[in-house]
Amino acid sequence: MTFVDQWISWLPALTPGLGVSLTLTGLCLLFGMPLGLVLALMLEGPAKLLRAAALIVVEVGRGAPALVLLYLLYFGLPEGGVTLSAFATGVISLSWTTGAYASELFRSGLAAVPAGQREAALTSGLRGWSGFRYIILPQAVRISTPPLASLAVTIFQTSSLAFVIAVPELMSKAYALGSITFEYLSVFALTSVLYGSITLLALAFVRLAEQRLSRHL
Amino acid sequence: MTVVITGASLLIGALLGLPLVAARRSAWSPLRALATGYIDIVRAIPPITWLFLIYFGLPQYALRLDSVSASIVGFSVIASAYMAETYRSGLLSIPRGQWEAATALGLKFLPKARYVITPQAFKVTLPAVAAYAISLLKDSALASTIGVHEITYQAGLASRATHQGLLAFSIAGLLYIAMSVPLAVAARRVDRVLRRKLEVA
Amino acid sequence: MELATERTVSPPTLGGVKVLGLHKSYGKHAVLHDVNLEMTEGEVVSIIGPSGAGKSTFLRCLNYLEVPTAGTITIGDSTVDAGARRPDRACLDRLRRVTGMVFQNFNLFPHLTVRENITLPQMKVLGRSRDEANAVADSLLNRVGLAAKSDQHPARLSGGQQQRIAIARALALSPKVMLFDEPTSALDPELGLEVLAVMRDLADEGMTMIVVTHEMHFARDVSDRVMVMADGRVLELGPSEQVMTAPTHERTKKFLRAVLDR
Repeated sequence: MTFVDQWISWLPALTPGLGVSLTLTGLCLLFGMPLGLVLALMLEGPAKLLRAAALIVVEVGRGAPALVLLYLLYFGLPEGGVTLSAFATGVISLSWTTGAYASELFRSGLAAVPAGQREAALTSGLRGWSGFRYIILPQAVRISTPPLASLAVTIFQTSSLAFVIAVPELMSKAYALGSITFEYLSVFALTSVLYGSITLLALAFVRLAEQRLSRHL
Repeated sequence: MTVVITGASLLIGALLGLPLVAARRSAWSPLRALATGYIDIVRAIPPITWLFLIYFGLPQYALRLDSVSASIVGFSVIASAYMAETYRSGLLSIPRGQWEAATALGLKFLPKARYVITPQAFKVTLPAVAAYAISLLKDSALASTIGVHEITYQAGLASRATHQGLLAFSIAGLLYIAMSVPLAVAARRVDRVLRRKLEVA
Repeated sequence: MELATERTVSPPTLGGVKVLGLHKSYGKHAVLHDVNLEMTEGEVVSIIGPSGAGKSTFLRCLNYLEVPTAGTITIGDSTVDAGARRPDRACLDRLRRVTGMVFQNFNLFPHLTVRENITLPQMKVLGRSRDEANAVADSLLNRVGLAAKSDQHPARLSGGQQQRIAIARALALSPKVMLFDEPTSALDPELGLEVLAVMRDLADEGMTMIVVTHEMHFARDVSDRVMVMADGRVLELGPSEQVMTAPTHERTKKFLRAVLDR
């Protein structure tokens, strides 16, 4: 019984951190998802220069660990003369990671639209941008939505890394609490429960939404 | 050190994943619930929290592990959960007819698993395993936070010493990217060979 | 606007079709060899033949879903000369404007309602207002007997219903010629009947139609002429009664025997 009381007593210390984590995640999704779509369009488009630029952004964003990117921007930006708060740096770095992974999902979505749709759009006179905008893109986005939702949940988990660049999110609060109380096991167990339950809830929600969406397609 | 941690965790995870997926598919509900719970919960916790739990938390009541062992234990557990899921997808993708045909021919469980199901499942899961290996490689960077002397840790040291953080971490990033390339290439080659040898009717 | 490389092609009647010397090859392998077809407005031609004969390929060349390697295609007042240079955008647009296509697997837009499937192309391609487009959609849906389903999504309808809507969608753009690529092959025999009935009505109303099909009754009873293809070539082309009951080619006889005497 006592450890539950312990946990309850710690919640006020930890919840602000959770708030920061969620805000961080939210902002990264807000910037990262559209970024992913733009990158996917650049990669699938005709312009060679745009394709090359997008390729570099995506390959680095996906190929390098999120942690390394965080450090890279945290130490690297000031060296380049740009000084931002740790939180802002975290948002930029994680948005980069988000966008890189999201672009791959959007590309799969685009590829998954049946070829017959393109033909039907063509024969109905909807070619080029019109066909893409009204016929192909809406379907691609619908197809990509479940994996994108899973990505969103993963980004929430990845936000825990922002701790290393001194963003006052959940992990950092947990670590601080641990160093004060020395009850590391208990503290991190509670942290795990917090992350885990939100993740599991979000995933269940995604599965529900997935079933709703697939009714039309 | 990066390679050691990634390799060891992958191996242990791959091995542990087998009994885990068996439990997950078992007909006995308590076992199945336990396995499902384990897999879902492990995958729902951020790796860094898990590492900290093991490295800082365990010494209190159980054993004190050095950072390398803690990392390997931590990543192995996570890997086993992901591998179990991968195995499960692979098994599910085999058409039901294959199991039925094998049973109808009178094959018992072990030969059925060995000769009919596993080769087919292997072909399907290999790309997914390769993809996970690459992702595990990137996750290994987290071990730097508990003091393991791997790539990211060294980059951190270099950055603090020389104040060339941009350069240090760029190199680190490129190293990770470079390491994932041979993995991807090897995986594709093995996949091609397997595809030819195991053409499914 | 005809292309500079136009040969002396006598202009066909308003809704007519004239295809001369159509070829298509992939490298050395020829899938279509010297296919010719001339149709007057209001004619219905069925294309039959064994699988792999190139029937669908030929049909899909007519609206440039497949690119022929040589030949001329004239539909209405739109002419395209394959082979020389790749025809420009405007040319292809016009070609697709005068043709309407119905696919074997319908290809309706799943994320739009039935009504939107029919009104969207009208508004975007022909620039009709929403009211005009809706009026056309309603009249067409009535014609194919599916007015009640206008606000549903295609996925909730049967195959036969979906194909009838696909026909309505193509008709909404007022094409001169309707191209049908095995319209009933993906349907149960019963559902196929609904679609064939609509096609029959369309033919009776005077639409110029080219139909690739395995439905032999339709070919004999509804179409004016039948074109038999095998191995990328035209074996026979003549009035349906004649071709179906008294063909000249041995290959045609063999095919018809296999199909009709099952």
